[in-house]
Amino acid sequence: MARSKTLVLRLYIARDAPNSARAVANLAEICKEYLHGRFKLEIIDVLESPLRALADGILVTPSLAKISPSPAARIVGNLSDRSSVIHALGIKE
Amino acid sequence: MNSRILRLVKSEPERQALESGQVDAILDPSTGNVFLLPEAKRALSSARGEATNALLAALPRRDYQRLLAELELVQLGHGEVLCEPGERIQHAYFPNDAVVSLLVVVEHKALEVGLVGREGMVGIALVLGEDISAVRALVQGTGTALRMKAAALQEALAECPPLQRELSRYAHAKLLQARQTAACNRFHGVEQRLARWLLMTHDRASADRIHLTHEFLAGVLGVRRVGITNAASALQGRGLIEYKQGDIRILDRRGLEAAACGCYQLVREAGAPRLRESAD
Repeated sequence: MARSKTLVLRLYIARDAPNSARAVANLAEICKEYLHGRFKLEIIDVLESPLRALADGILVTPSLAKISPSPAARIVGNLSDRSSVIHALGIKE
Repeated sequence: MNSRILRLVKSEPERQALESGQVDAILDPSTGNVFLLPEAKRALSSARGEATNALLAALPRRDYQRLLAELELVQLGHGEVLCEPGERIQHAYFPNDAVVSLLVVVEHKALEVGLVGREGMVGIALVLGEDISAVRALVQGTGTALRMKAAALQEALAECPPLQRELSRYAHAKLLQARQTAACNRFHGVEQRLARWLLMTHDRASADRIHLTHEFLAGVLGVRRVGITNAASALQGRGLIEYKQGDIRILDRRGLEAAACGCYQLVREAGAPRLRESAD
């Protein structure tokens, strides 16, 4: 059986703050256009779970972490630069 | 902002994001605290503290979050004109506690055909694919609103079915309101119309006090100033309102509802689905 590479992602946000909201929106668009359901996304609100975020090594929000497949990657900011996000996540256009 | 916090941001990508304004918050590993940057703090506190627009509040959380990036909190002042008839609509406004009158202008005379508060949106033409305003949008009650660029709203409508649904329902409510108002203006007396108008404003404003001159009311209802003075005196004489130096206070809501014409209940029930319940 062919193994499809499911992208496992974690997005760290600060509730409804502007950049966080943009990051959610931008990521949703990217996932819809490029990933066709082959992804698992967990959204962590640092205002609710700051210690979890710190344990994961997050300092700044919004931040997107690619957990798998390797290599792991981290992108900081509102994800509006689509091509750099796609590149960092290793997605082929 | 606290320089100690800023010094926590060491890596190059994080610094760049911070400098380009893409960061909302910084975490402090030594304390576990989250420091919100000024813009983020402002956006979060305004979204929670004040009375929020009911149309936006009715959206699913994820959709509301997405819209927030396009919404700007603005202060609207009494007398401010948001749009004139024939002009391109620049922004859609979702009032929180501001109240906006929609007026039709005929040969330099203006008449109110609608009222918009936290239950609705100014710029409903955009929902129907039109970007030119047919009315004058005049701020009646000072307060805040969230506004969005017209193009951003049009994009959001295409991408967000819940928003489309809420705004379509609201557009229908506005249509009902306009039709009823047309009949009301023709058949009902000033006293009834004033009572109805006071109730509608009270439903949308966040306070029990409304500050307006007889002059302003005369303009809005399309009658002579003396007509307002007489109608207001009559309502005051019946103990329904108190009207002193431009300050109107509603004393007896149920009584005022009885004094208003049936148009008030009709529009309320059929339209404006998200208006607050009448005060007890």
